[in-house]
Amino acid sequence: MLFIVNTLSWILILVGSVFLVAGAVGLIRMPDLYTRLHAASVTDTGAMILLLSGLMLQAAFVFQNPLALIKLFLILFFTLFTAPTASHALAKTALLGKLMPKDSAGNDLLPSADHVRQLADSSRPDP
Amino acid sequence: MFTAATLAILATMLLTIVRALLGPSIYDRILAVNSFGTKTVLLIAVFGFLTGRPDFLDIALVYALVNFVGTIAVLKFFEYDDLGSGAYQDDDF
Amino acid sequence: MTEQIVIVTLLTFLVISVVGIIVLRNLLAAVILLGLYSLVAAGAFVVMDAVDVAFTEAAVGAGISTILLLGALSYTTHVQKPQKHNNYAALLFVTVTGALLIYGSLDLPGYGSATSPVQAHPEVGRRFIDESILETGVPNIVTSVLASYRGYDTLGETAVVFTAGIAVLSLLGRRRRLTRDEHSNSTDEEDLV
Repeated sequence: MLFIVNTLSWILILVGSVFLVAGAVGLIRMPDLYTRLHAASVTDTGAMILLLSGLMLQAAFVFQNPLALIKLFLILFFTLFTAPTASHALAKTALLGKLMPKDSAGNDLLPSADHVRQLADSSRPDP
Repeated sequence: MFTAATLAILATMLLTIVRALLGPSIYDRILAVNSFGTKTVLLIAVFGFLTGRPDFLDIALVYALVNFVGTIAVLKFFEYDDLGSGAYQDDDF
Repeated sequence: MTEQIVIVTLLTFLVISVVGIIVLRNLLAAVILLGLYSLVAAGAFVVMDAVDVAFTEAAVGAGISTILLLGALSYTTHVQKPQKHNNYAALLFVTVTGALLIYGSLDLPGYGSATSPVQAHPEVGRRFIDESILETGVPNIVTSVLASYRGYDTLGETAVVFTAGIAVLSLLGRRRRLTRDEHSNSTDEEDLV
């Protein structure tokens, strides 16, 4: 039983670590903010779920510490709400601040700065 | 196992700091700092298990929330160039 | 072993972020990096088992002071002025002060040392461990010292911080009202035109 739990948490934590580093490399190599946001989300939610699940298995079966299990669950629960919200707010603020999306060659993807801002509030009438 | 995860988190933190230093836009730096905050939460959680004393997890929990509130406050500042009553909101947008 | 690696790495991150803050001319970016500095410092404090300090550092350093500095920046320019002359006197002063501080730190007991004067005192530590729960009813010894044995001291600190917060808020709030009035005047003029 303990062997299965340990193997499972090994896998979860190692895959989570790979996600972490992969997301960080993406944070460095992606061409503009919006793609970097995508890379950062991989670490903020994907790696978070995997690593914390591995830790939860350890807390429940190896450390036998129910309080730690509940705290880990709360961290995971709150992060799954706050990380996407923060990403969304960041993208929206960047669009309102007229930060141009670029492709990997560094070319602008939209004709003008006003088009960028329009992406942020689609509910408003065209200027 | 926990050692590997700790080293991975430290490597991620280093890359995130590099992004925060490079910029180029202010939003990239905010993204890097927000991401770094999440890494701090993970580091505290994993480190508690590494030393065999997972007692400081409530600190990690509080960090996760402080990080979120801080990021939203900074973004609000950049959206409205003001932290206060929101007097400019209706005029600008 | 891993603990040492983590501490040393975090302290290296601290140095990297401080160099970034010094080099950057954009003040907004510097404020953001200051938040990152606080997060690194708080992480290092947790790793070194100073959880209460870490908590304060995260809440005050990464939270409140970043927001206060941004609030201050919204009333001034976002880019630092280029320096016109070299300030060798200031450099000398800072170097001497830093050297004195490092010299002073040589007398401190080693990290986690069991033979430091505080730990080696025959009565004090023992007494707090044995009696604090009976005398104050607070389960955490550090909290019992902070909030009970030296409660008046903590109360005074809190009053100072509270007063400073009120002063900053009143300054910022007054300025904001003025700019808003100017703002509404200008829109009125535009309407007339």
